[in-house]
Amino acid sequence: MARMGMVFDLKACIGCNACVVACKQENSLPDGVFFTRTLSHEYGEYPNTKRAYIPTICNHCEDAPCEKVCPSGATYTREDGIVMVDGEKCIGCSTCAVACPYDMRTMLEEVMFENGLFGEGQLTPFEEQGYDRWIAGTAAKCDFCSQRVDVGLDPACVYTCPTNARIFGDLDDPNSAPSVMISERGGRQPLPEKKTKPKVYYVD
Amino acid sequence: MTAQLTHKDTRLVGNSFKLGYRFQNYWGNSMAVAFFSAEVGTGLFLVSYVHDLIVGMILGLALAGTLKPYFHLAHMGVPQKSIRALFRPDRSWISRGAIAIGFFIVPAIFYLLKSGGVFQFAAVSESLAILDTLAETTAVVAALVVITYQGFAMSHSESFTLWASPLLPVSSAAYALTAGCLLALVVGWGSLEEGARSSLSTSALLLLVADLVVVLGILHHAKNKSKGGEFSVELLMKTKFTPWFRNLALIVGLALPIVILFFADGFVAVLLAAVFMLVGFMTFRILIFKAAVFEPITHDLAGRFGLV
Repeated sequence: MARMGMVFDLKACIGCNACVVACKQENSLPDGVFFTRTLSHEYGEYPNTKRAYIPTICNHCEDAPCEKVCPSGATYTREDGIVMVDGEKCIGCSTCAVACPYDMRTMLEEVMFENGLFGEGQLTPFEEQGYDRWIAGTAAKCDFCSQRVDVGLDPACVYTCPTNARIFGDLDDPNSAPSVMISERGGRQPLPEKKTKPKVYYVD
Repeated sequence: MTAQLTHKDTRLVGNSFKLGYRFQNYWGNSMAVAFFSAEVGTGLFLVSYVHDLIVGMILGLALAGTLKPYFHLAHMGVPQKSIRALFRPDRSWISRGAIAIGFFIVPAIFYLLKSGGVFQFAAVSESLAILDTLAETTAVVAALVVITYQGFAMSHSESFTLWASPLLPVSSAAYALTAGCLLALVVGWGSLEEGARSSLSTSALLLLVADLVVVLGILHHAKNKSKGGEFSVELLMKTKFTPWFRNLALIVGLALPIVILFFADGFVAVLLAAVFMLVGFMTFRILIFKAAVFEPITHDLAGRFGLV
């Protein structure tokens, strides 16, 4: 079975955050909820200042601490390695959120669905059709756009990226794009000392 | 003078799209009160059980059996589905703790009914007498689980170096038993024998010293394990949370009760020591949540940029 993962090419990322917008649109995420973020950091001293962009996403860890601590069985891993959350089973205890070393979980709150993206307390038709997917009070996170992966498409953030900074594929296939990139350019996992075996790698 | 986080301290980034430390905001004051009441209640129950102090056991059961479930349910996003919290005792400390609480409350009620002469299974039928013993044993064992499981749940979270210490469950148990000894002295002052009062007072004093050592050990471990842990300790001992942590958790909560119990005796001294200790313990519970930070997402990159 496949082992789906992702590689971030830090040399290619320009920090446009198109991935963030695509994710919000694809998943109808409410106000203040982000499944992916491109973090920035300025360093150096004038006139030699630089800015680095570091995309972040749920790492769909092979040894997922969120899955281990979940008391209700809401968090589970599919056969293809994508870590999912079943909102119907989630009790909103937030134990998964404190267990994730990468802070890539969100606890959905009622107020997030009430404000609307325009903050006027009224939902647009787009929001109304999308919010049905979520249950207030439960945990939510990136699922690699599983609904797209299931029909052979890339996640929305990967599809949208203008510089191909996000590469998605089967890490068990040595000829897949992410596998080749990891082996050729020395992919590194985020926070390896946490021993979660993340399936997202960084190359630069 | 306490150092201040300046506006130029860019290490804390909140919810912004920047690389840096982020506070843990998922477990808040409701969980802190739930943890506190579970540990104080079961600690009081256990100490009272050893000294056969019925009023202490009743108070301990009331604390752990009402405040703990109430505040834990208040924290839940979907409390009406909370029964699902029992489903994964094979790997979740939350499940184990929820089961332990259940196995504490119900048997403890039956044990207290028997102790108070109100009801016992043996009076219904001799063949059911084993249930009285079972209730007593189950309540005690479950209480021992409850005073430690919350510390285990926190220490299993590798996200926060401040929590990921083997001393967390030790601190839970030590604080619980400290509160138990002091509260047992307070509620049982008139009914406990002089020998029992002296024993409890000595135990409380030794446990307070142990609490202080354990808390300092947690800070030492965090400071030396990672940059995030060092930052959490800085928040507690030098910057944002220092006035509360140093003054309430350490001085009022631990140092003052030690001094009081060492140099004074009598009901007023014990009462003051108990109040101070509980204030300090509650402060510790709240601040150990608030001071926990996530490490920057890509630690090696953060180091290259001079962030850590």
